[in-house]
Amino acid sequence: MSATYGLYVSKQTAIHRLHPLTKLTYVLTCLLIAWIVPGVWAPYIVLLVGIVPVALMAQVFPNVVQNTIKTTIPFAISLFIVQGLFWTGGTIIQQLGPFSLKEEGLLFAIRGTGRIIIAVSGFLLLSYATRSDELMLALSQKGLPSRISYVILSTLQIIPRFQHKANTILDAQRSRGLETEGSFLIRTRALLPLVFPLLLGSIVDIEERAIALEVRAFGRSGPKTSLLVLHDTNRQRLFRRLLILVSLGVIALRIYLWLAPRFAA
Amino acid sequence: MEKLKRDFNTIALAMIPIAIAINIAVGQIVKALRIPLYLDSIGTVFVGAVAGPWVGAVAGLLSNIVWAFIFGDVTNTVPYAPVAAAIGFLAGVFGKYGWFKSWWKAVLGGAITGVVASLLSAPITFYLFGGVVGTGMDVITAAFRSQGMSMLAANFLQGLATDPLDKAISFLVVYLIIRTLPDRYIDRFSRADDIR
Repeated sequence: MSATYGLYVSKQTAIHRLHPLTKLTYVLTCLLIAWIVPGVWAPYIVLLVGIVPVALMAQVFPNVVQNTIKTTIPFAISLFIVQGLFWTGGTIIQQLGPFSLKEEGLLFAIRGTGRIIIAVSGFLLLSYATRSDELMLALSQKGLPSRISYVILSTLQIIPRFQHKANTILDAQRSRGLETEGSFLIRTRALLPLVFPLLLGSIVDIEERAIALEVRAFGRSGPKTSLLVLHDTNRQRLFRRLLILVSLGVIALRIYLWLAPRFAA
Repeated sequence: MEKLKRDFNTIALAMIPIAIAINIAVGQIVKALRIPLYLDSIGTVFVGAVAGPWVGAVAGLLSNIVWAFIFGDVTNTVPYAPVAAAIGFLAGVFGKYGWFKSWWKAVLGGAITGVVASLLSAPITFYLFGGVVGTGMDVITAAFRSQGMSMLAANFLQGLATDPLDKAISFLVVYLIIRTLPDRYIDRFSRADDIR
């Protein structure tokens, strides 16, 4: 079996050695705090206190920064344009030709960008430091159907092969004279000769895969043994409970802040 | 329940990973050809058509989750998983009523699915991302917004500008695949009788 674990970066750090659920709970708690604690700068505080130190400890900080910037920049630009310039009403802080920059829109965009940064960087941190097969095993032990984890893991393994196949088809059709560059019409015409061989070839493969699974007793019910063994400690279990308590506390705080003015009025 | 079990047979479970890989590979080909569409749910629509609404929904849901793990981008993937599930589900419903038996019904079914998809994605874009998707599509949103339209309505119209056409083409491609494949491959799937 070829080892494909999605984005996983193999390193020997304390963070990599943690139980997958500990990391998952931690990232989800950070996400929850960043998204529901009020205040424009809340997500940025979570980033500095919650995400950055852990990313440094896991030695994946450069990867996290690079990919977070790549994903977040288009969002940030769109948010600042769509919300900053086209906010209805609001206080004008700068006139830019026919448009005007609004304070409320700008603050909204800063907060929105922060939330997206947390979602992206938290997810990246988790996937760089956690093998996806270990994460799936941990979730299966918590009750996720093993068929679901099979589907996710085998997809992660198929995809590199599929991209290779797509490139082969692209090269083959080009060498037969298929034009893939040029006007819009030419590029659109190239679509079917590229897509069809890929689709038909892979659908024909499905049956073979199903037979391969059946002869390995895939459809059999009952408990299954995993080759992987996950290491968990009492301290991690305690830490996870603590994180869940913090999350519940934050949710309660949010509901209180939301309800209090309504009851006061 | 018995029927659901038949839908989720081994062939369906072997098919879902292939379908997700198809979604991603075709999505990338379309991107490489610089065609302004997504076409990233052809696999999901195929699963829905040949294995029913529920398997289609699972394929759509998992597709968006796996997408995040491959490209490390959670923004345009995981939050829209319910939309992808709805697309697979609707493909299954249209398949059940024989809409994949004629090309124009497939196109119509795809267009309807596209309208539903834009209805479902607008609130997600609005509430989670403040109304932007981080692509060139935001120009459309900004244009509607500058006309004094509410953000939610602008998001819906932005979806409407691409989704119905995109899904109509996806459904048509699946129709063509079903016609092209030899009967003996289609026969393996639980809903084979509804689509031939």
